[in-house]
Amino acid sequence: MAKLVKGVFLGILNVVFIWTALFLYSSEAYLVLVLLLLGAALVNFVFISERAYPYRYLLPAAFFMILLVVYPIVYTVYVSVTNYGTGNILTKEQVITQLQERRILDAEAGNYTYQAYRDGEGQLWFVFTGPQGELLLGHAGELTPVQEGDARLARLAEFTELARADLVRATNEISALSFALDEARQLQMRNINYFGVYRPQYQYSRERDELLDLESGIIYQPVLGYFQAPDGTRLTPGFREIIGFHNFSKLLTNPQVTGPFIRVFIWTVQWALLSVATTFSVGLFLAILLNDPHLRLRRFYRSVLILPYAVPAFISALIWRGLFHTELGVINRVLQATIGSGVPWLQDPVWAKVALVILNLWLGFPYMMIVCLGALQSIDVEMYEAALVDGASSWQQFRHITLPLLMVSVGPLLISSFSFNFNNFSVIYLLTRGRPPIVGAQTPAGHTDILISYTYRLAFESGRGVDYGLASAVTLVIFLITGAITFFNFRFTGALEEVRKNV
Amino acid sequence: MYRKHGILGSLWRHAVLLVFVVFALFPILWVISASFNPANTLVGQGLIPPNPSLDNYREVFTSEQYPIALWIKNSVVIGLITSTLVVIMTSFAAYAFSRFRFKGRRTGLFASLLIQVFPQMLAAVSIYLLVLSIGRLIPALGLNTHAGLIMVYLGGAMGVNAWLMKGYLDTIPTSLEESAMIDGASPFQAFYMIILPLARPILAVVFMLQFIGTYSELILASVLISSTEKYTLAVGLQLFIQDQYASRWGVFAAASVLGALPIVLLFLFLQKHLVTGLTSGAVKG
Amino acid sequence: MKKVAALCLVFVLALALSLPAAASVPGELLIWSDGERAPVLTAVARKFVAEYGISVKIQELPFGDIRDNLAIVAPTGEGPDIIVGAHDWLGQLVTDGLIEPIDIEDPSLFVQSALDAFTWGGQYYGIPYAIESIGLFYNKDLVGEDGIGSFEELEELTKNELAPKGIYGLVLPQPDPYHTFPFFSVLGGYVFGFDEEGALNALDVGLANAGAVEGFEYFEKLLDEGVIARATPYDTMMSLFQNGQAATMMTGPWAFGDVRAAGVNYGFTQIPSYKGQFGKPFLGAQGFMVSAFSENKMLANIFLNEFVATKDTMLAIYEGDPRPTAFLPAAEIINEDPDMRGVMEAAEKATPMPQIPAMNSVWTAWSDAIELVINQQAAPKAAIENAVETIIQTIRDSM
Repeated sequence: MAKLVKGVFLGILNVVFIWTALFLYSSEAYLVLVLLLLGAALVNFVFISERAYPYRYLLPAAFFMILLVVYPIVYTVYVSVTNYGTGNILTKEQVITQLQERRILDAEAGNYTYQAYRDGEGQLWFVFTGPQGELLLGHAGELTPVQEGDARLARLAEFTELARADLVRATNEISALSFALDEARQLQMRNINYFGVYRPQYQYSRERDELLDLESGIIYQPVLGYFQAPDGTRLTPGFREIIGFHNFSKLLTNPQVTGPFIRVFIWTVQWALLSVATTFSVGLFLAILLNDPHLRLRRFYRSVLILPYAVPAFISALIWRGLFHTELGVINRVLQATIGSGVPWLQDPVWAKVALVILNLWLGFPYMMIVCLGALQSIDVEMYEAALVDGASSWQQFRHITLPLLMVSVGPLLISSFSFNFNNFSVIYLLTRGRPPIVGAQTPAGHTDILISYTYRLAFESGRGVDYGLASAVTLVIFLITGAITFFNFRFTGALEEVRKNV
Repeated sequence: MYRKHGILGSLWRHAVLLVFVVFALFPILWVISASFNPANTLVGQGLIPPNPSLDNYREVFTSEQYPIALWIKNSVVIGLITSTLVVIMTSFAAYAFSRFRFKGRRTGLFASLLIQVFPQMLAAVSIYLLVLSIGRLIPALGLNTHAGLIMVYLGGAMGVNAWLMKGYLDTIPTSLEESAMIDGASPFQAFYMIILPLARPILAVVFMLQFIGTYSELILASVLISSTEKYTLAVGLQLFIQDQYASRWGVFAAASVLGALPIVLLFLFLQKHLVTGLTSGAVKG
Repeated sequence: MKKVAALCLVFVLALALSLPAAASVPGELLIWSDGERAPVLTAVARKFVAEYGISVKIQELPFGDIRDNLAIVAPTGEGPDIIVGAHDWLGQLVTDGLIEPIDIEDPSLFVQSALDAFTWGGQYYGIPYAIESIGLFYNKDLVGEDGIGSFEELEELTKNELAPKGIYGLVLPQPDPYHTFPFFSVLGGYVFGFDEEGALNALDVGLANAGAVEGFEYFEKLLDEGVIARATPYDTMMSLFQNGQAATMMTGPWAFGDVRAAGVNYGFTQIPSYKGQFGKPFLGAQGFMVSAFSENKMLANIFLNEFVATKDTMLAIYEGDPRPTAFLPAAEIINEDPDMRGVMEAAEKATPMPQIPAMNSVWTAWSDAIELVINQQAAPKAAIENAVETIIQTIRDSM
């Protein structure tokens, strides 16, 4: 029975693989096809080989992880070596198409009114009336001068004349048409009422990979993501292309980055540490209190205490910003009333950092509380009973039983929480946006900017607009730093070492 | 660990808890206050608005342009399905990591955690392109479908959650499964019939965390879902505060308050699973 | 194994038959709109269907997301035909190759400054529906029917009458370069200068010239004298004005709803003068643009020219979200409203917010300079000169 289920399951999977492969083959996506076939082979191996048994359990989660988490990373790596950003969003093909579609209206040639007819076979016929009243019969891209009363015009009476509404419905069809007026100029739809006389502006030569301006004769060649004239004039839009490690070198040699780096880095580490320490200690403390079966109103407390986690952070952060306001905020009004003086929460560098930690504590402790509540359940009550017999105090129990056992499941989480806060751009952004600014600083880094908030700002507020290439390079460099710290943490805490079983 | 405490013992406990309740609730009271304030300010001068009214709530329930009730339903459905699938996949992965020894185990564990902390700045762009191409193969999983969105959320199944669960399973003694396997159970049966029931608290935790995470996820949902009637609550809410200076805080606050209800209800429901710990009896079998 | 193979075949066939059709369908318009415009467009779309049988879909998304999502979605061919947007997106959208010039049938129907705002390289890229600039809200009960003409007058009034009652003379969002710009521009400051061809020159930043510094120093003086409430974010500013704790408020027409809801006896006029000069606020224009990746460009033009650029539609847009219209035939009616007259008056003094992408590098450094002055941590001259240096450095770096 189990074998049959396995067979059918694998069969269905293989069907999907084969079908996808055929589709990829027909759409000529060979690289993806190869990846897919490798993946398919792997899946079959895992399900057929007994040696690969454990991997069967990992397969579903790993599949989605690779598809949806690893892929964005690969994409980021790709973007980091391109010039992707404002002005360089499209592919070169798209840009060439756009530039070739550019046309110049010959305003002096005037407007041509028109009547359109459809013959029995669905073909379109046009009668154009030029600015001097001349008549032109248009069909299949060709124009024939005609006179009033011409037999060819009379024939049109047998066709269906398109009324205005029909014209509107047929705009896509009509606007795609082009009638050669002479060698250089075409009659094309200008708007619903008129045709106009147009010349194409550019001509692209695929062999020479260059763009010719038909007006001026200037030749534009692709240079660093733009078609560029010999005098350096660039045509917009530009296109995205691979520019190698330019973004990385820009990042690592930019004095705006290297200047404040140490200061920003130190605060980033402090911030991540403080965030983890505060949320975890409060979360654990509350979890221990709320795990107590003798405590009344436990369910009430637990439900209320997860509320900060249930309200969108967006709104609560803004509320906090109001509460922290120096003159009008509630916190300072209370402080004024009780101890006689307020605190310059968001103006003073140190207090702004304190405010951030408080906000992040508020946002984060329910998470830690839930995690700890769950993790506490795995601790066998008997162990406490034994400890009680030995006369251990509550603190000793916590120190020697609860904490070490809890760390088995929660430890890695703390490390990942550290990395997460290391890059916790959104809390910084919502409360302080990196402010307060530093007096006399030559860089736009503020006192509470962490590495990622500052470098992203450089990438998103660059002189050319948004610079995704640079932002991706930033992401990768920061990922390297985070990765190194995470790895070090693991080594240091031994979280990767095998956990003692059967404690 | 927990003894019965005297009056003093329970007094300080309640005192401490009350302090945290105030800390947790205070900002939320301002959200609630804003939701009753027709004057549309977020941080008024007092906690009680000058002319409290139900206008904002009325708009939440009656607005044709903004079907907030529908958005909440969408979010709940997506959250429940995602969380269920994630819990299933995560428990599989965690079981393998905890009970089997195989090549690449440590690397896999480390990698699964590490890539979760990759800054997701470009994730929206890349995932959009990915779902676009998946949708061309399988329209049901494409852009602007809830199934596609759920699929995207499943990417997070192997990460912090798997670690959390793996750690929990590590603390469950293997003796039970071993005896079951001696009785002829396959590893899968041992997992399904013995481990999973014991891991209930952590399953509840992962479910809860995943539900909240999915429920409030904004960036991916806003790029992938494009029709108003398919929006999740988090995306829909943005429509009220889209204008830097003319945000409609009152309605936003009212909808946030209502939107928090499913999370609280779910938590109330899961609580009993969350705190049914291992009893000695269960382990001893 | 044979069974499995047979099963495979069935699946392949079934799935092959369900291969999706092409993604985008020409002959059907898709509009990305913000919430305020969506209901009006939906009504207009109904008329378009009735007239031509061509369906128009409206997809609503947050205003700011329209620009961001367009860059992701449009190049894949899944994007809209028409978007609603602001004129200051123009530089980015045009250099990205995401929007298309529009053929405006009768430009004389539009307010000239709005058309200018939507012009790039001599071509129109948008059909404007609204213009806006900040102006001065005043509480008639505190400053009288006619409001305030000059900052000097406001200073006097605050010193003699308001301050003793604990009322601020003026509130504005802080630190917010957009709202503070009139202080910089009143005596001759500007963001970007123009080159010989009349295009904006990103390397000519005029925020620290003599006039700008003098205006900024005056702003500091008003803070120090307590005429302006210090460090008020938008929300706090609003509640001070609503509660009568501030006599005037510098912000834009988006605030009318909140001010009316609070029952303040208010008026709206242009920004007061200083030394006889009026501060120029930023002019913003909003309009409809056509995607460069639209499969229905001509159709989109027809829809905009025939169905949107009409008195009825423009009035409906105004009703849905009262901002001064950019459409002259509708302006006659709208200007009967004294609020709108005030806004038009303020907008006449305004100067279009620069649309070039380099504007991205200006905001943070500028805002930091303002914040340092508000926090009394730096003198205006030093702060703004430093900011301008940073701005120019940033722009130079990315050229």
